[in-house]
Amino acid sequence: MDESPKKELAVRRNTSSHLHRKEETPSWHLGAPVDIFFRSSPCRIVVVNAQELDHPIIYVNLIFEQVTGYRADEVLGRNCRFLQYQGSFAKTRYPLVDIRILTEICRCLSEGFDFEGERLNFRKGGSPLMNRLYIKPICNDEGIITHFLGVQSFKEANFDLSPLRGLVWKKSSGAIHTHILGDMYSQKPLFVHRDCSFKKCCPLYKVSDEVLVVNILARLTPRDVTSLGSVCHRFYNLTKDESLWKLVCQNIWGQETFSILESVARRRRLWWGKIVRELTTLEAAAWRKLTVGGSVEPSCINFSVCAVGSKVVLFGGEGVNMQPVNDTFVLDLNEDCPEWTHINVNSAPPGRWGHTLSGLSDSRLVVFGGCGRNGLLNDAFVLDLDEPQPTWREVSCSTRPLPRSWHSSCILDGTKLIVSGGCTDSGALLSDTFLLDLTMEKPVWKEINVSWRPPSRLGHTLSVLGNHKILMYGGLATSGPLRLRSSDVYIMDLSEEETRWKYVTGSMLPGGVSTCNSAPPPRLDHAAVSLPGGRVVVFGGSIAGSRLETKVYILDPMEEKPTWRILYVQGRQPKYASGHSTCLVGGTRVVVLGGHHTEDWMLTELHELCLINLKGTD
Amino acid sequence: MVKECKVKLKSSDDKIFEVDYAVAIQSQILNNTLGHTGCTDSALPLHNVSSQILAKVIDYCEYHVNASSTISEKDVKMWDQEFVKHLDQATLLDLLMAAQYLGIHNLQELTCQTVADRIKDKRPEDIREIFNIQNDLTPEEEEEIRCENEWAFEEEVSP
Repeated sequence: MDESPKKELAVRRNTSSHLHRKEETPSWHLGAPVDIFFRSSPCRIVVVNAQELDHPIIYVNLIFEQVTGYRADEVLGRNCRFLQYQGSFAKTRYPLVDIRILTEICRCLSEGFDFEGERLNFRKGGSPLMNRLYIKPICNDEGIITHFLGVQSFKEANFDLSPLRGLVWKKSSGAIHTHILGDMYSQKPLFVHRDCSFKKCCPLYKVSDEVLVVNILARLTPRDVTSLGSVCHRFYNLTKDESLWKLVCQNIWGQETFSILESVARRRRLWWGKIVRELTTLEAAAWRKLTVGGSVEPSCINFSVCAVGSKVVLFGGEGVNMQPVNDTFVLDLNEDCPEWTHINVNSAPPGRWGHTLSGLSDSRLVVFGGCGRNGLLNDAFVLDLDEPQPTWREVSCSTRPLPRSWHSSCILDGTKLIVSGGCTDSGALLSDTFLLDLTMEKPVWKEINVSWRPPSRLGHTLSVLGNHKILMYGGLATSGPLRLRSSDVYIMDLSEEETRWKYVTGSMLPGGVSTCNSAPPPRLDHAAVSLPGGRVVVFGGSIAGSRLETKVYILDPMEEKPTWRILYVQGRQPKYASGHSTCLVGGTRVVVLGGHHTEDWMLTELHELCLINLKGTD
Repeated sequence: MVKECKVKLKSSDDKIFEVDYAVAIQSQILNNTLGHTGCTDSALPLHNVSSQILAKVIDYCEYHVNASSTISEKDVKMWDQEFVKHLDQATLLDLLMAAQYLGIHNLQELTCQTVADRIKDKRPEDIREIFNIQNDLTPEEEEEIRCENEWAFEEEVSP
C-alpha cells in the first residue's frame, strides 16, 4: 500500500442522474499511474464489491454510461463480464476477446496486485471498444481487500473483424447469414426521432459496408455497381474491393462460371473487377495465334473437339482415303508448352466424322452419331479423362434417335445431352430434338415433343443459356423444295411445362435478306459460343457467294428486342472456323482448329479468340 | 407445441407492442431469446428499432404468419410489393436494418431487393438525388472516375 496522500474522487454528477451507492464512500489510496489516466482522457470508473460473490458493480460514473451506452441501473449488481459480450442478446463472450488477458486479471485480483492492460469491450449497440484498463484493489484498515477500482480509458477499436468476414462472403443458394450480419449491424446507433439532423443526411450511409456489399450491391449488374461507384468517395472505395466483384460474378453468372473464372483468375493473378468488366464489355476481345507441339496423326478433317477444363479433346474425323478414324487426342492449354498427346484408350468407339463431341461435368465427355464406315450412327459413348486408364463406354439404350450426321448438340446442366436435327442416311433433313439424361443409371432417350418445329436442318448450332434454355441458330434449312442457308434464331425453355421453340430473330424465310445492317448473313457450319450472362457469339462458317466471313457477331436474347451486333475484335482472325472444331476453354478462350481452307493438317497452329485480357499482374 | 402466449416488445422510444408468439418467432433473434426465457410478462427491449419501424415490422410478420398456408404465392408477392412500394428511402433502409437486426430473412430479402431495384439502371446523378447523397468528389476526381467508368454507360458493345 503506497503512502501518497488520500485523494477524493472528483466526480461531478447531476442530481437527476442514476447515481446509486450501496456502501458508504470508501477512502481511496490512488497511485501515480491512475493519476495519469485521469489527466489524459475522460475515464470510465467502475467500482466492484470484492467481498460479494461474482464481484458485482456498485458504482459507475457518467462517462461509463456515455461511452458504453449502458445506463447505471442496467449494470449495477452485475459482474463486468457483460462488456465482453457483443450486443444485448449475446450469451457468450466475443471470440476475439483475449482469454489470456482475462486470466491475468483474475490472477491479479485473487493475489491482490494491480492490473494494467488492454482489453476488447463492446458498447451496448455492439460496436467494439479497445479498453485500457487499470484495476486496483482497495483495502480496508485491516488490509483486507474490500473493493476493486477499475479505471478505464478507451479508444475506438479498429481490429479486423475478418474471421467473421470470411463467413459473410459465402452465399449458399441465396441464403444470407443473418446472425453474422446481426452482429455486425449497428456500428452507428440508430437514432430516428432523437436526432433531427437525421432527416438531412443520407439514409444509405446508416448501413454498414458489409451489409451494403453483401445484401445490396451483390444483387446489381456490373454496370449498376459501377454507376453507384461513381457517386461519392465511400461507394467508389467499395468498388475497389475484389470481394464485391466476386459476389457480383457469382450472382449474375452463376456458380459454375464463377468457379471456372476463379481458377483462371488465381492462376494468372487477374483482378476480379477487370474480369467482370471485360466479360461485360468484351472490350479486350482479341484473336491470337497459338503454336503447339505434338501433332494429330493420322491427320484428318471433320473431327470434333470439346473442352474439358483447360484441355482440348479431339476425337474421330475423316482421314486419308476418306476413311473414318477413332483416335482420341488431348491438348492441355495450361501447360507451358502445350502439345498434342494421343490417349491410349480402352475400347474406342467405331471411327466416325460429322459427329458431335460434348463436355460433361467432372472431366467426362460424350460422343454421338456421325458417319461411320458402314453408314450413319446413333450410338453414344462416354469417356472419363480422369480415370487412370481412360475407357470409352457405350451408353446402352433400348430406343435411340434416328442415325444422323451434321446434327448439333449441347449439354444442359453438365449432365444432359441434347441433340437436334442433322442429315439421315437417305439424305433427308431432320427437325427433331432428343434429350439423354446421363445421370440416370439406365439413360433413356426422350424426344422433346413440341407443337411446332423450326424447318429441318443440318450444320446449325445449339448453345446453352443458363441452366435450362437452348438457342438454335443458322444451318442449312429446308425451304420448300430447296435447302437454303438460314439466319434464324430459336430459343427453347426446358423448364416450361409446355416446351416450345420460340422464334427470336432472323428473317422469316431461310436464306432471306435481313433488315438489320449488323445482322450476320445466313450460314451453316459456323461456330457459336455461349458467354456468361446468356449472350451468344457467332463467327465463321459457310456463307453464300463463297465469301470468307470474317466478322464476329453477338446477340443478347434477354433483351426486349434481341438484335445482332458486330463485335470488334483486335488481331487477325482465322480464315475459316467450323462449329465442330471450336470450343470454349476456361470460360474465356474460344479455340479454333483446322478448317477447310487450312493447310495445317497437323493442327499445330491454332487460333483463339480471347474474351478477356489474360495478362495478369505477374 | 404451439404457444398461445403473447409477447411484449419495447421499441427504442419505449412504446410497448404486444404480438402473438407465432408472429414474434419469425425473428430469429426473438426466437432464440424466447427459446431460452420462454414467454415472460416483461417486455423485450429492442433498442435499435423505433416504434414507427417496429409497427411496420409487426404488420409484415402478422401478414406472413397467416400467408404461408392460406394465400397463394402470387398474392403474397403482390402484397409484399405494395408493402414496400411507397416507402421513402429513410423508412425503407430503417426497415432493412431492423430486419437484419431481428433476423427476419424474408423481410430482409424484400427490403434489400427493393433498394437494389431503386439503384438499377440509374446514372450516378439520379442515384444521388434519390438517396440524397452528397457529392463529395472534387470536379477533378469526378472527371477521373467518369473516364474510368465510362464503359458502364456505353450503349453499344463496340468501342
